[in-house]
Amino acid sequence: MKESLMDVLCCPMDKSELELEVDDRADDEEVLAGTLVCTECGERYPIEDGIPNLLPPDMRDDVPA
Amino acid sequence: MDLAERRGVETEVYQPAEDSALLASVAEDEVGSGDRVLEVGTGSGWVAEQVATETGADVVASDLNPHATRQARERGVEAVRADLVAPFRDGAFDVVLFNPPYLPEDAAAARDDWMETALTGGEDGRAVVDPFVESVARVLAPDGYALMLVSSLTGVDEVVELAGECGFSAVAMREESYPFETLSVLKLLPA
Repeated sequence: MKESLMDVLCCPMDKSELELEVDDRADDEEVLAGTLVCTECGERYPIEDGIPNLLPPDMRDDVPA
Repeated sequence: MDLAERRGVETEVYQPAEDSALLASVAEDEVGSGDRVLEVGTGSGWVAEQVATETGADVVASDLNPHATRQARERGVEAVRADLVAPFRDGAFDVVLFNPPYLPEDAAAARDDWMETALTGGEDGRAVVDPFVESVARVLAPDGYALMLVSSLTGVDEVVELAGECGFSAVAMREESYPFETLSVLKLLPA
């Protein structure tokens, strides 16, 4: 994800701002791995392979067979 | 390959079909180059990619399905795994696009895989359409609007009525008839 995506994202539960923690970047500065942390409730949302997973925690593992 | 055949082959991500093409063609006419656009339930990411390429707009795509967000990203579309519009800021988008799972559930054909999630909208076909219509206004900018594909199988009148209850005026932008359904693109404008 590009860092500019932060302008449109919020915590899916309380709609508060998120803080970006970067673990890995691509050559073009895109964030490949990291975490988005809610500044209000503290919930942590993973970024993997450049894709942030902003499902609320109770939906994260709800995968069809 | 027609719509029905496509629904039978792929098991993880819905691939572009007639409904996708109809939504993309209306969006290409409506979206401006400076618009910020969200496509909810992007699937393969094809509509989002078309709109970004044809209009120059800034397009973000979301889906519940991790296989879909991966395919969208491979097309060069900015992808987010999300439940409808839940993780997007108030007033963030000029246009929200949605080609929802809209087929009424057929118990005999229940598959319990990602493709079923992509296709079926519960008993009446509106299990995902309804929460979308009820939640999308929050993320629309002033003068923003949603473009949503609806099938006659889902009940266009019922969707228009719900949109009215949620404070939208709904306008049918384009219609296309197929042997078993008529597809429409509705423009939902906050009244």
